[in-house]
Amino acid sequence: MAAVAGKTYPAVQIEIDTERVADFARAIGSNPSDGVPPTFAAVYSLGATVPQLFGDQDAAVDFARLLHAEQEFEWQRQPRVGETLTSVGRVASDTSRRGMRFVTFESETTDADGAALCKSRALFVIRS
Amino acid sequence: MTERRVTFSPEQIAAYAEASGDHNPIHLDDGFARSVGLPGVIAHGMLQMGILATVAAEAAGGPDNLRRMSVRFAGMVVPGDTVTFRATPDGEGKLELSAVNQRGEAVLTKAAADYTP
Repeated sequence: MAAVAGKTYPAVQIEIDTERVADFARAIGSNPSDGVPPTFAAVYSLGATVPQLFGDQDAAVDFARLLHAEQEFEWQRQPRVGETLTSVGRVASDTSRRGMRFVTFESETTDADGAALCKSRALFVIRS
Repeated sequence: MTERRVTFSPEQIAAYAEASGDHNPIHLDDGFARSVGLPGVIAHGMLQMGILATVAAEAAGGPDNLRRMSVRFAGMVVPGDTVTFRATPDGEGKLELSAVNQRGEAVLTKAAADYTP
């Protein structure tokens, strides 16, 4: 089994788009005029970086057997619409026990000045 | 205590898939979902977390005050399920969070948030 603990993926840039934020806010029943919803981090932090893990042949994550088990976000501040952010994904741990694989995937998001904005930590469980 | 009750629909789940970019067919295609052993399409865990975060943000006095939030995705939510999302003060700058379906089952567990009071 491929274990890729410690692997860091190339930085991804993402712009906080007005229309996408409004669609996201409406989908969670929030008011688009309240600003960027906190869990829009699912898009700019986790969502921007996790396709690199899922597409990584070395990581060999079987998407069909994958379960998103836990999620944590830490925010230094909420982003504003129009900002361009940079997110870097990293496999914090990758372990197997009792036929299950546990992958902790962290994403760190910084703003245009390089200041920390958000950190995402996702735990994925992959059944074998 | 801040609370919101939501009855999930296939339309809301599809809208979340579109807005979030998570197009996993287990959320969109009943036939595919059944083929992998699910009862049919299920809501995104991140959709549940998103709704709970809006409740947490309201309890925290606004989204800018939220500093941290964590959940465990413990139970499936299918269209027609009604989930009660709740944030309860739990000491200075802390919120205890919960999401419980119409049968009294917690669909999110280990849910908590920190905020700047």
